[in-house]
Amino acid sequence: MLIEIKDIYKIYNEGKESEVRALDGVSLQIDQGEFVAIIGASGSGKSTLMNILGCLDIATYGTYILNGTDVTDRSDRQLAHIRNREIGFIFQGYNLIPALTAYENVELPLIYQGVSIFQREEMVLHALERVGMADRWKHKPSEMSGGQQQRVAIARAIATRPPIIMADEPTGALDSKTGRHVLEILHALNQEGTTIILITHDNGIAATARRIVRISDGRIVADGTREEVGL
Amino acid sequence: MKIGQAVKMAAKSIFANKARSALTMLGIIIGLAAVIVLVSYAQGQNLAMEKLYSSMGTNKITVYAYTWNGSNNVSQALYDYCLNLSDQVVGFSPNGNVYSQPTIKYGSKTLAPASHSSGGAVIVGGTAMSTGGENNYPSIYLGNEQYGMCNDYTIANGRDLSYLDVKNGNQVCVLGAATAEYLFNFANPIDQTITINGLPFRVVGVYAYKGDPSSAPANPEDTNSWVDQVISQMDQMILLPSTMTRYFNNNQPIDQYVVKVRSSEDLRPVITSLKTFLSGIIDPNSGSFGVNSDDVYKEQQGDATAMQQRFLGGIAAISLLVGGIGIMNIMLVTVTERTREIGIRKAIGAERSSIIVQFLIEAAMICGIGGLFGIGVGYVGTLILGKLSFNTILIPSPGITAGAALISVALGVIFGMYPAIKASGLQPVVALRAD
Ligand SMILES: Nc1ncnc2c1ncn2[C@@H]1O[C@H](COP(=O)(O)OP(=O)(O)OP(=O)(O)O)[C@@H](O)[C@H]1O
Ligand SMILES: [Mg+2]
Repeated sequence: MLIEIKDIYKIYNEGKESEVRALDGVSLQIDQGEFVAIIGASGSGKSTLMNILGCLDIATYGTYILNGTDVTDRSDRQLAHIRNREIGFIFQGYNLIPALTAYENVELPLIYQGVSIFQREEMVLHALERVGMADRWKHKPSEMSGGQQQRVAIARAIATRPPIIMADEPTGALDSKTGRHVLEILHALNQEGTTIILITHDNGIAATARRIVRISDGRIVADGTREEVGL
Repeated sequence: MKIGQAVKMAAKSIFANKARSALTMLGIIIGLAAVIVLVSYAQGQNLAMEKLYSSMGTNKITVYAYTWNGSNNVSQALYDYCLNLSDQVVGFSPNGNVYSQPTIKYGSKTLAPASHSSGGAVIVGGTAMSTGGENNYPSIYLGNEQYGMCNDYTIANGRDLSYLDVKNGNQVCVLGAATAEYLFNFANPIDQTITINGLPFRVVGVYAYKGDPSSAPANPEDTNSWVDQVISQMDQMILLPSTMTRYFNNNQPIDQYVVKVRSSEDLRPVITSLKTFLSGIIDPNSGSFGVNSDDVYKEQQGDATAMQQRFLGGIAAISLLVGGIGIMNIMLVTVTERTREIGIRKAIGAERSSIIVQFLIEAAMICGIGGLFGIGVGYVGTLILGKLSFNTILIPSPGITAGAALISVALGVIFGMYPAIKASGLQPVVALRAD
């Protein structure tokens, strides 16, 4: 089992009147090589779940076993290591560093990994090529369209060739054609063995996943194939 | 992450955020330059005061003593008493002044008092001296053969007054350097005769310049500091034997004296002795006396200067603080942006330590460069201000420079590090949400 969470709660302002249970007792297992789509209404807790799965956030209660080890009692340094080596993130809002060029943004996780400058160049260009952005490597985020920024963000996520990719609405800002292109990239990566966790509003896109998890009010309400979930 | 990589990353960040980097540097440059210039100015002022004091003569006691009946034996009694103190007192002279401003002539040249006061009055040691303007009318003093020595004048040409000049009432004079230059230009004044109020006086000597000859005496006011003006004023003088008092001041006896002591330690004891002595010979009902030292005044002046320096130090501290707040502001304004950046860096796998090291190097580089420019601007500013205010080459002291640079660079580094220290400890998702 690659990912295993048990009774995860994420509660904001616990005990106060403004208490929000973004995750309200979620248990989930994901195997290596799976392609999982997470769907649900806005505010249902999809991003919260991904942040916890990606070690960007810590659950209020519950356990999280990644690759057989408990993540909940890892040090900050070990978590940084996990984020760097194990997981590639594609954020809902791109999250590129504005002052850096496309090339430099994609290069960043490789620098933190300690990859040599020569290897880096090859890996960065390869990742940019894969998303069709190699000709824009010199551009800063402010000089690119939303879809182009999203593709650079994807290149950054795949540059280190992580075993897991987590994508939060990667097609949200794209037209259907580029959206489909991004989806194809994810599927191709999945073919190569990468585990994909994809959050989406778009039922059409979710339907391409072998497994679909539906969330509502912080709880998993359905988990299975397209037919089982009812798409 | 290796340190070389962190340096590269910091450099990249500095160049990628040119406006922010430039503003931070500007804060440091202004703060640092202001401190250097202010403190150097205060020190320059101190130097100028010291120069003035040494020109006025050191280890000098001025005595004023007179009796209603005008008896002349006070002078003789004082002279005899000072001889008794010869292991402490090295010189004694009457210190009279011709108040009537008689007309001085040599050949076609005439020195007459200005009809109206053209310069401002400067108070030095309680004595008002007029400064500036076209007026180079000299002060005329009445003294003996020790007058020059007591007042730190040295003979440049000819000889000083002699004991016999005074005793016999010879009509001779010694000229201050500026007065000699005015009356005689490049001719030799020795043994020439000038007239004062029509009375002939033979020039026996000329004193050396105390001030800068090139800045004396008719240079425009604004190129000279008042200290220089006061000093060149000292070169505009004529010394006559004290016995000449009978031709001037309505034949009133001289009631001012100057006593020169061997060292500054002798000042206070001699002042006390003189006071005791004078209170013994002058009945308060029939006269009065005073014993004073400019050196004592100088000590008080030194206190005032120290206070002024503390005041300027305060201003410097405030400008450093303002500069520091400027640095802090620009750093804090970008905290949100930087917090997001840190969130991104953490999310893609940066360790806390790499982020802190990167920000540390970045802040140190910006502040280091800003600090160098600040020192440069401070030096140039000090040179300009030194030239304008003191007419000297004024250079900031290395201690002040290093101290101020250290403080402003430290401020920049601390506040440059602030977002990194704060945000690198957050959960990435919290840092990413910053707004
Ligand atoms: N920092 C926070 N403080 C309080 N409540 C929060 C916080 N972050 C998220 N929430 C709440 O948690 C719930 C889940 O948010 P989340 O971002 O996971 O939704 P989502 O499913 O990703 O929505 P969307 O599809 O719009 O992105 C929401 O109701 C949200 O208001
Ligand atoms: Mg979301």
